[in-house]
Amino acid sequence: MKEKDGYVDCPEQQLILYVEKSNGEYGPIQTGSFITANFLDDYYLKRDHLVASLKEKVERNEISPIHYYLILEDLTIPELAARVKLCRWTVRKHLNPKYFAKINDRELTRYAVVFNVSIHDLRSMISPKNEDRKI
Amino acid sequence: MIIDSYHHRMAAHCESGTIASLLGHAGLEITEPLVFGIAGGIFFGYFHKMKSFAFPTFILRNKPGQIRTNLEKRSGIKFRTYCFKTEESGVKKLDELLDKNIPVACQVDFFYMDYVPSWERVHINVHFMSVIGKKESTYIISDCYFPETVELDAGSLLKGRFAGGTMSPKGFLFHTDQIPVSIDFEKAILKGIKKTCFNMLNIPIPFLGVKGIRMFARKVMDWPKFARDIEHLSHEIMKINILLEDQGTGGAGFRFMYATFLQQASDMTQNQELKRMSEKMMEIGDGWREISLFSARIGKNRDLGPDRLKQLSEMIYEQAEVEERFFQELRKSIL
Repeated sequence: MKEKDGYVDCPEQQLILYVEKSNGEYGPIQTGSFITANFLDDYYLKRDHLVASLKEKVERNEISPIHYYLILEDLTIPELAARVKLCRWTVRKHLNPKYFAKINDRELTRYAVVFNVSIHDLRSMISPKNEDRKI
Repeated sequence: MIIDSYHHRMAAHCESGTIASLLGHAGLEITEPLVFGIAGGIFFGYFHKMKSFAFPTFILRNKPGQIRTNLEKRSGIKFRTYCFKTEESGVKKLDELLDKNIPVACQVDFFYMDYVPSWERVHINVHFMSVIGKKESTYIISDCYFPETVELDAGSLLKGRFAGGTMSPKGFLFHTDQIPVSIDFEKAILKGIKKTCFNMLNIPIPFLGVKGIRMFARKVMDWPKFARDIEHLSHEIMKINILLEDQGTGGAGFRFMYATFLQQASDMTQNQELKRMSEKMMEIGDGWREISLFSARIGKNRDLGPDRLKQLSEMIYEQAEVEERFFQELRKSIL
């Protein structure tokens, strides 16, 4: 890749790209992220749609807030179980709103740490990922 | 308290960049591509179904941690490593090392790094960065993905260091221990290249190396079966671009960085054949770049019918063919 083709204007996300410089030497340049510069609005559009559809399911009592975060953070049940240090069958139960209602605070705290939210946010499904939205 | 003599520099990849910076601080000036190449970092693996991934995915480098261990094996450099059973002992050791003015590399879950923009943060337990100081309740971090040093809350660092799940860091720390007076770089480079060729061509597992690229080409056609809806599929297809370009690869899934390594290796070993191979690798990188731009474009346009996926699959197949020929030639060029 030639140096002149490598530059992208994106101050929000800078990265290093290895390119062919004008003297034929290969080396690093500091540039911006192509996908963040061009497609971040599309990412947020899809995320908003996903959040809306999942919230609707929680309101209809089809899924629990833990299931909501599981999908939103792209985790799997075995991975989440390993992170919260609970048996995967227990985690599977907590995805059901019926069992989520009975969950104790000790277990809920473990989930809150993994999703990086407070217990209150976990119950009301507020994601920290919307805080520093640029677009 | 900050280690002032530590020179923060940006790098393409977290593990090789952190190691190059730590070695630079210890007095050994070594470039990031050289660390990456000697350690045989370039790789390919395709994972169609794995319990830790919610969707099929692929990797472009060797196992996290192997850049350090392979570099140790091939160059004689020694790193001191630590793992911890409790959070308290992990914090105590980190503070002790910082008190001794030793910059320490940490393995963390990227999700808890509050200084990273939210859209980039994902649960991945294999991010490396250096801790170079402490101010009351924050640590000073030199993360090679960022142009400047940043501050991170002690609580967030602790969460990142002791996150559970696949490849959990268990508070892992390392720092430079011994650097040999003279390093036989020529031997290390040749060993690195030899191992890379083996990894790409001869591992008898159908989803690793060049076979993995072919499997990726074949299986990408099945991706719609795994998606919830068109927007989910679009997100996953656009992630091909992110994995190839954005997640610390230096562009084109480490291929541009490897081309740079081969050019530097050619100068160090006086092997002109390696220079020719570096040019070829740059062209291969351009091919991967085309794939990543194509994926971003069809994902954005939601143009994800069987025809488009077939086109994507053919482009990936072509890369498999080209890379197979390349690594066979590379192996011959160092004999």
